[in-house]
Amino acid sequence: MKKRFNPIKDKSSEIIEFLMASPDMPEDEALRFKLRLSIEEAVENVVRYAYDGGIGWLEAGTSLDHDSLILTIELRDAGVPFNPLEKGDPDITLSAEEREIGGLGIFLCKKMMDSIQYRYEDGNNILTMTKKV
Amino acid sequence: MNVTITNQDNKTLVVLDGRLDTSNADQFQQDIAPLMEGDKPDIDIDCTAMSYTSSQGLRLFLMLQKSVMARGGKMVMRNMNPQVKEVFDITGFSNIITII
Repeated sequence: MKKRFNPIKDKSSEIIEFLMASPDMPEDEALRFKLRLSIEEAVENVVRYAYDGGIGWLEAGTSLDHDSLILTIELRDAGVPFNPLEKGDPDITLSAEEREIGGLGIFLCKKMMDSIQYRYEDGNNILTMTKKV
Repeated sequence: MNVTITNQDNKTLVVLDGRLDTSNADQFQQDIAPLMEGDKPDIDIDCTAMSYTSSQGLRLFLMLQKSVMARGGKMVMRNMNPQVKEVFDITGFSNIITII
């Protein structure tokens, strides 16, 4: 199932809850925690940065392969071309004084999901995340 | 996310209850503003009922930890559920914040 949200300004929670309510989502609480976290970080990235002032659309969808039990979450927007995966991972060995505040969102997606891919196609940013459920 | 702050002797006890995410991070930042003041703070945060945190929450815990250290104080977070603890572990926050 998928749905287009437009505009997306202040719609993060609505988009996250739409995806979490999908029948493709697992029931296991530990898995749902990881999926919710990845979805929140990825959605927030689009809502904050894709469009000037959040005026634009985001299409959010899920699909489940019933044989392999691989859940796919796809986010698509027509904002500024931006590959969030190009940003380097934060150095998690630094001390509190050295750590920068921020930059953890996509890093958490990478850690929580099995795969995360980005492509730019027909003027759209497309982020695809998968997880065995 | 409900935040309860109690001052007892020279300790500050904080109880967190609920989900900390992008929808309530700004409110949470206001709620913990009292913890960002005073010399040599001694802060004990009970996380038993904190069910979730995203990077928005981590950002604020790091800000608080930096503030506490800069004021010569100390802070512990206790009783995190395994999922929340994993978020702190993965991001290296377990090394910079005392978690018991």
